[in-house]
Amino acid sequence: MPVIEIKNVNVTYRVLMNKSSSLKELFRDAIKGKARVLDYVALQDVSFTVDAGEVVVILGRNGAGKSTLLKVLAGVLPPTNGSSKVNGKIAPMIELGAGFHPEMTGAENVLFYSALMGRDIKSVKERTPAIGEWAGVTDHMDFPLRTFSSGMVARLAFATATDEKAEVLLVDEVLSVGDADFQEKSKKRMHELINSGAAVVLVSHDMSAVRELATRAIWLENGHVKMTGKASDVVDAYEAN
Amino acid sequence: MKYLPLIRLLVNRELTLRYKRSVIGIGWTLLNPILTSAVLWYVFSFVFASKLPSGQQFAPYLMAGILMNTFFNQSLTQAADSIASNGGVLTKIYVPPQIFAISSALAGLANFFIGMLPLALVCLISGQALAWSLPLVVVVGVALAFLTAGLGLALSILFIRFDDTRNIVNVLLMILMYLTPIFYPVSVMNSTMQTIIHWNPLTSYLDIFRWAFSNNATPTLFSWIYMSIWSIFALLLGTYVFRKYWPRTVAML
Repeated sequence: MPVIEIKNVNVTYRVLMNKSSSLKELFRDAIKGKARVLDYVALQDVSFTVDAGEVVVILGRNGAGKSTLLKVLAGVLPPTNGSSKVNGKIAPMIELGAGFHPEMTGAENVLFYSALMGRDIKSVKERTPAIGEWAGVTDHMDFPLRTFSSGMVARLAFATATDEKAEVLLVDEVLSVGDADFQEKSKKRMHELINSGAAVVLVSHDMSAVRELATRAIWLENGHVKMTGKASDVVDAYEAN
Repeated sequence: MKYLPLIRLLVNRELTLRYKRSVIGIGWTLLNPILTSAVLWYVFSFVFASKLPSGQQFAPYLMAGILMNTFFNQSLTQAADSIASNGGVLTKIYVPPQIFAISSALAGLANFFIGMLPLALVCLISGQALAWSLPLVVVVGVALAFLTAGLGLALSILFIRFDDTRNIVNVLLMILMYLTPIFYPVSVMNSTMQTIIHWNPLTSYLDIFRWAFSNNATPTLFSWIYMSIWSIFALLLGTYVFRKYWPRTVAML
């Protein structure tokens, strides 16, 4: 059984043409009959499946619908039509450190971030020192996050997000975190997670990383699938485009 | 409940974070109602103190009103704001967004209970005994948490869609505050105003709270029924509105 099953997914955003985000303007426009609604199609009839251990990369220019697709997979954005099914635990690495708070300490943030991802608080509490050590910020764990450098924050976030095994990894351009050493380390951990049987959906503009990691690729253009197949083939076609 | 630990962390964060950089920290939760009450007591005690029925002191009457109004105002605006301000998380990680509004209401409830310590002190100093019905304040507190969480959820959708709602709500809250007998006894108003105040749901909550805490008001059966109806109605309205409009609203975050 595939871990991820996306079937005929459509996502349309409703945009007000004259962008009246105040009630007064909306009211005025409604009276004059000027409030025109435009349906912006972000995804159109997208279907695919991902099996355990597969690494699928989503290619496409800005605005092609990549981020929308990840949001649908993460379950934060319900599709307008179609169905999206994910079997298993998701580790959303769409934006590292979403939910981090500058006034809370490193340890508190690890706990909070993990709770957001639905992890067991008790075991995270035990793991916190190890997470801090892996990220190389042990000495800072009891200080507010605002005293961290941005590289340290990213490392801590990556360490937390990848600390527990998950069946599904959703990754949006977070492979290039920290300095060279840490990038090596994080790449190794990604490989470990993939080898342990996680299904990975990846959005990246870094074509060399994509060629190295991905097994399959989906090329999105203006919300629909333009090409899908073996990663190297699709990347070749995409780069030639 | 899978998200109970997360709710606990959120409430904790909301209680401690606000005063994180201040010297006495959470002590402000105790001090704030005292200071506000002291100012208003000084201003209004000349006018209104003598208008209360005998046996009721103005200081605890006023402070109970302020305590409850702070709870309602702060939790409501925070709950309504919580979903917009946590949009960064909600568009990346799946958590039921309602959790943020519920946590705001619960944090308000916790502050409400903490604020009862100085209120008890003021009661005793002004020579008014605490009532035997004191445990019933829990019922009022929970009812208010329901009310704010429900209204907050419904408002949160509007807050995300239309920036102006914030300002409108602030004005409405101010009007509502003056229509609640916080610092005046109802008896000083004319009969039309008394009717309006009577139908203001917050009046029922406040009457019950004052009575339960220190016998400082006389709620009727109507107050209890009216309070229950509003709490249940608000919660149903909030969950319904939120469920219905969230899928389209999340795209705007």
